[in-house]
This record gives sequence, structure tokens and C-alpha cells, in this order.
Amino acid sequence: MRAAIRSATGILVVLASILQSPAQSQNGKANDTCDSGQPNAPVKIEIFSDFQCPACRTFYLDTILPILKEYASQNRVCIVYHDFPLQMHSYARPATRYAIAARRLGRDQWLRVCEALYADQALWTETGKLEPVVARVLSSNEMARIKKILEDPTIEESIEQAIALAVQRGIRSTPTFFINANGREQRVVGGVSYPILKDYLERLFK
Amino acid sequence: MSKVVFAILHWSSRIFLGIMFIYAGYTKVDNPLQFAAAIEAYRLLPPAAVILVADWLPWFEILLGAVLILGLWLRHTAAFSAALLGFFIAVMLVTHLRGIEADCACFGIGEKISPLTLARDTLFVLPALFLALQSRIQARWRWPAAAF
Repeated sequence: MRAAIRSATGILVVLASILQSPAQSQNGKANDTCDSGQPNAPVKIEIFSDFQCPACRTFYLDTILPILKEYASQNRVCIVYHDFPLQMHSYARPATRYAIAARRLGRDQWLRVCEALYADQALWTETGKLEPVVARVLSSNEMARIKKILEDPTIEESIEQAIALAVQRGIRSTPTFFINANGREQRVVGGVSYPILKDYLERLFK
Repeated sequence: MSKVVFAILHWSSRIFLGIMFIYAGYTKVDNPLQFAAAIEAYRLLPPAAVILVADWLPWFEILLGAVLILGLWLRHTAAFSAALLGFFIAVMLVTHLRGIEADCACFGIGEKISPLTLARDTLFVLPALFLALQSRIQARWRWPAAAF
């Protein structure tokens, strides 16, 4: 009898944990887990971005990178990054494939690939040659693994899931980001510079 | 023109402008970061000035709208409204001519600066100019004060 109760309790615990855990997408990242920072951070910033969009490049390199260093590393902000490759950008989807593959390797590799894709945007948007850009920031071993991951058909599924999420959230242009703090969500269409976002965050922390 | 026509123009201009300013302020006050992003996209102000404008302009617009509806210091507030709208149009025109695809941010977000937004905002100046001129004439000639 005790064994039956114990096993029933075990099943219930497993079921509860499944129900409570956020939906895990194919790219190995739950839809609302932090890419940087911890879920208990007082502020959550969700970004929808396209690797080929020039405004996204400025926003990522000039605003998000300092936020990662100054706030997410101190667990004051949780950053959630969502890919949203726009149809109008012919190489945005291949770039997203590399980013998703890098994410499957690890957070560090993903961060390096994201930064490289944005930093060298002008190079690959002309030619579509993404591999040299990605290879520059990864070891040969990591690059070999990325190539293997890119053959996985679930990469495309991940992109479709990411696009579906963006559409569901009503995103029409990139970058668009949401700031969740004090039980309130603020939606911002377009990028903003670091001093302005920093000022806004500091006010939220007060 | 009869006093009645003047009275109708006077009240409709005041109420229209007042509601317009209150609505414009209301759409910005709810999301100051979005408004700051929109101002920054004009590429005219440094971040510190953007923050200042984003903080105060929406409340100022709401106050101006209320003062216009109440008819307080009308000679000055109407002239100031016309000047403020003229300033907004000049800023938008300069941004448009510079080829910057900025959001107008006149009434919330999602409306890019275009000849259409410029023409619309120019029309908004007309009631403000009418009120400013009328209140000046009224102050000088004491006419048609009875109508108001």
C-alpha cells in the first residue's frame, strides 16, 4: 500500500513539474527563460530582433551588450532574446540558423555568434557568406559541431516557432522589446540608446 | 461675420485643440520609454535632453489642452499653441528632408513622418492661429467680447 502511495506521489510530482515547466522550444531554450541574468531579476527585457536589420545591429551592439555587462551579469536584469527573421531580409533566416545552432552548443558560443553576426552585418548582407563570420569567433571543433547541427531539420522548426511567437505577440517590426517590471509590461517599438535605457532601468530599481 | 459664427469658431477651435493636446499627451504619458525612443529617432537631441523632453512634454501637452478648454490666458496660450505646433512641424520637416525614417509620435506610435502627417499637423495650426488672432483683436477692440 505504502509503495503504491509513494509511486502515485512520484507520478504526481513528475506531472506537476511537467505542467509547471515553461514550453521548451526546439532550439533548446524555453520561450521565457533568461539568456542572460536570472528569472528572479527585478526587470525582464524581451527582445525581438533580426540579424540583418541595421537598427537591430545598433540596438544590440550599443545598448544590449552594455546591458548584458552592467545589469544582466549582476542579476538586475533578465534578458530574453527572440529571433524574428523578417521575410524582406534574404539572409536573415540563414543567419538565424547559425545563431540557433550556436545556442545549441552553449550560451557562450551563442553570445559570440550573435555579436559577430551583428558586428559584421555589412559584410554578409552583401554576399550572404555567413560561415567565415561565424568561424571567426568559434574554434574549429565548435565550427565542425555547428555544421553538424545545421543539418538537423529541427533548426527550421525552431525558426518557425520563433516567427510564430513574434506574430503571436503582435510584432510588426524589429527591433521591438518588452520591459517587464513591477507587474507591468512596456512595449517599445524601435531601438533606444544605452543612456536612455539605463536611465529608465535605474528609475525602475528605485 | 456674425457674432454667432465667431462664437462657434471660437468654441470649436478651443475644444478641438484642447482635446487634441490632451489626447496627444495621454498617448505618450503611458509609455515614456517608447516616447523617448521616438524622440531619439529624430537624431536632433542628446540623450539627456531626450529624457527631459520625454518626461515633461506629455504632461505639458495635457496641461496646455486643459488650459485651452478652460479658456485661461487664452491670448497667450493660443499663440503659444500655434508656435508649439509650428515648432513640431519644423522639426518633422527637417527630419523628413534629412531622409530619416522616424516615427511622428504625434499620437502614439506607428505613424511615420510623411507629407500627409505634415499636412495634417499644418491644419492643426489654423484653429490655434484663429484663437490667437481673435483674442488679440478682442483685447484691443473689445469686440466681439459679448459673444464669449
